[in-house]
Amino acid sequence: MKRIGSLGWMLIGVALSLASAAAMADVVAVVSAKSSITALSKSQLADIFLGKTNRFPDGTQAAPIDQAEGSAARDEFYDKIVGKTAAQIKAYWSKIIFTGRGQPPPTVSSPAEMKKRISDNPAAIGYLDRSMVDDSVRVVF
Amino acid sequence: MRNATSSHLLKSLSPKLPAALTLLTALTMWYPAPATAEDFGGSMFSFNGFGTVGVVHSSDDKADFVGGLLEPNGAGYSRSWSASVDSLIGAQLTANLTPQLTAVLQLIVQQNYDNTYWPHVEWANIKYQFTPDFDLRIGRMVLPTFLVSDSRKVGYSNPWVRPPVEVYSLNPIAALDGVEASYRLHLGEVTNTLQSSYGRNVSIQFPAGAHVDAPYQWGIFNDTEYGAALLHLSYVLSPITLNSASTAALFDAFRLFGPQGAAVAEDFEVVDKSVTVLTIAGSYDPGQWFAMGEWIRTRCECFIGVTTGWYVSGGYRVGAFTPYLTYAQVTERTTSAPGLSLSAVPAYLAPTVAALNAGLNELLASRPVQYTSSMGVRWDFMKNFDLKVQLDRMNLGAGSTGTLLNIQPGFQPGSTVYLFSTAVDFVF
Repeated sequence: MKRIGSLGWMLIGVALSLASAAAMADVVAVVSAKSSITALSKSQLADIFLGKTNRFPDGTQAAPIDQAEGSAARDEFYDKIVGKTAAQIKAYWSKIIFTGRGQPPPTVSSPAEMKKRISDNPAAIGYLDRSMVDDSVRVVF
Repeated sequence: MRNATSSHLLKSLSPKLPAALTLLTALTMWYPAPATAEDFGGSMFSFNGFGTVGVVHSSDDKADFVGGLLEPNGAGYSRSWSASVDSLIGAQLTANLTPQLTAVLQLIVQQNYDNTYWPHVEWANIKYQFTPDFDLRIGRMVLPTFLVSDSRKVGYSNPWVRPPVEVYSLNPIAALDGVEASYRLHLGEVTNTLQSSYGRNVSIQFPAGAHVDAPYQWGIFNDTEYGAALLHLSYVLSPITLNSASTAALFDAFRLFGPQGAAVAEDFEVVDKSVTVLTIAGSYDPGQWFAMGEWIRTRCECFIGVTTGWYVSGGYRVGAFTPYLTYAQVTERTTSAPGLSLSAVPAYLAPTVAALNAGLNELLASRPVQYTSSMGVRWDFMKNFDLKVQLDRMNLGAGSTGTLLNIQPGFQPGSTVYLFSTAVDFVF
């Protein structure tokens, strides 16, 4: 009996990854169009959103903003930059909050509000579904 | 059967608990508005809380399993099922007075050394952020001696029901009233945080009536983070004095036997002796799984001696479930001593000296030696809540009662004790 060959496995792999990409909306990290930041790495984003730094790599102030808890964009963003679930991120912040070391990024109630906050403030950084991106914001990841 | 269990649960909550809870509720009510993070821009105050409701059952009813040396009773002898070992509730008020100046007050209600439930102040300090990477704190703080020392009571932030007692019970002196400086350095993708603390310890009361005083305590702590990896190093030094009537009587008796007796007392008594705690710890948590471990050595030129504790723990996330395994042990370099030589005293005093030597050896043998394997699972069953179930098999060292307390006649030192624990943790 012939087993599935390596090409077969590869096709299955491609099909699965396409399927999972389709299941996920495409969330991108954005800054204001007025910001001087053009691109950030995954680890730079992780440091900013986990409160390990409050500056961009060029030394200017970084003010991260989160979407509402439980929103699909938020869950996907954290999965993308640190590979963690909402509960894991909550557990991480619990340690920081209850040792007096800091507070998580402030949250906004809607993606539209996030876009507005970011476009108004050159220090702000957040994330949006790619479909919402326009001239007022710049995709950095 | 069900009634018996619930009455145990009720009994383990002292009548003072409701009073303490009322106080916490009052604190909550006093706070002007619920500080949801939805208030963009951040209000000046934020109010947060955490808690654990858990029960533990021990297979041995002739000794108590406790979460730390400061708990008066626990699971086993005092209660078949104990809710006091892991249950607690904490509330914190954070005031962002200016962008640089922050004040934190955290109260915790849990079983106290005297079996009451009065809230205690876990954190109360003011932090001034001189630069984004340099800050100074003044007030009451918890030392980050171990990987999760300063957050050990926030069950939700930890993978297990409780941090391994083989390591975390080694340093009961956790809180300090003093100053702390913290400096963060960014080197490419590496973040290094160096922290140093100096202060007076908060007097530690033991259930047996003894208490420990440290006139000062000094510590240096370093965290190196690279992506999902963390290396934690710490060194804490403090001169301590154990105020205990029974050990004082023992060593005073030794001193009656001239210079040799005084030398024995000097070697073992805990009066103004330096205790050092060295910690080397690491963790790796890329999200899908985690691995962590700690190695701790405490050292004192006294009967506390040289104690080594370490554990390794790992888990793998499957959806909302995170099963984990832990191996932990604590060993003692010296659990016996010759004491005062019988040949040095007249024959008629030999029985007295033998009794004193036996007392000294009883003290040395009380130092914990145990080897524990644990398995458990954390289930993040709803937002801000988790449920944990954990099984521990504690093999006590030969002749040792391990970390158990309230040892009763008939208890077998060196035996194997099984624990079953379950807990719900929450944050708000």
